[in-house]
Amino acid sequence: MNQQIRAIAGLDRVIHEPGRFMIAALLYAVDRTDFLYLQHETGMNKGTLSSHISRLEDARYVEVEKTYRGKVPQTLLRLTPVGRKAFEQYRKNLKQAL
Amino acid sequence: MNQVRDYLERPKLYYNIDGVGELGIGFMYLTYALFAWLEARAPENSFLNRPYGFLVYMTAMVSIIHYGSKAIKERITYRRTGFVEYTARDKYWIPFALGAGISALLSVGIALAMRRHWQASTLVSLLVGLALTAGYIRIARTVRWKWAVFIVMLAGAFMIAALPADVTEAFANHTDLTRAIPARTLGACWLTFVVFGVVMMISGGISFWLYLRHTEAPEVEDE
Repeated sequence: MNQQIRAIAGLDRVIHEPGRFMIAALLYAVDRTDFLYLQHETGMNKGTLSSHISRLEDARYVEVEKTYRGKVPQTLLRLTPVGRKAFEQYRKNLKQAL
Repeated sequence: MNQVRDYLERPKLYYNIDGVGELGIGFMYLTYALFAWLEARAPENSFLNRPYGFLVYMTAMVSIIHYGSKAIKERITYRRTGFVEYTARDKYWIPFALGAGISALLSVGIALAMRRHWQASTLVSLLVGLALTAGYIRIARTVRWKWAVFIVMLAGAFMIAALPADVTEAFANHTDLTRAIPARTLGACWLTFVVFGVVMMISGGISFWLYLRHTEAPEVEDE
């Protein structure tokens, strides 16, 4: 029981928020993706998604690259090695907590 | 924990959201069948009957599938529902391992077929049909109605295997390949590729049509 409580306390707060968890999980499974894909998969509006991405970027979990696909602006996102490690650790802790 | 797994699976299932994956596989099956048909009917000294003929044909087929899918994704899918770049493991190693596994299975089938005294024609075509059907499970998991396609493929595999010998023989009789493989086995395998190719093209076509109907590109503005 003690170990379970410790595991819950050890959960990464940045990833623990459901919106950011969705983003981190989707990014973990791929090399990189764009803003539109995350919006499509998570069903979040642009503002909410942007604020979650900024939070993940501040924690150095996500790398954001602004570019163009033809004439259309595109925001590419990738989980950094730190972000990958944090997500793996989060999964491990969550497993222990459950 | 299942939800975590679900989120990790979603980007992989995204590849066929527009049906392009199925269209590519269906096209591949039909071009295999077309090559076998052309090879069987071409004169013996034709380039199709030379060892490099198959290589040239395969290169053309793979190029059409690769660049065709890429063009559809670039012009339609990425603009409507977003861009995904997969890891090298998903892009190269898993397809390579799957391809190697299916090739090994088909090789066993061909080896069985070449032992004429075993009369294993039914088993061989069933093996090919079941291998192709099993490969479809990954796609069927994405959308519920795709399980109907899976059942059609499964039924198709059994029905082709159960066809009378003279019917399947009629598809491959009088061809050079029957010197190595019994005509009924060759005909059944050829029919399997045609039927599965058509089913995949129809299923992929429906998915593509539904995708176009239910999605549209968002207006361009800053993100």
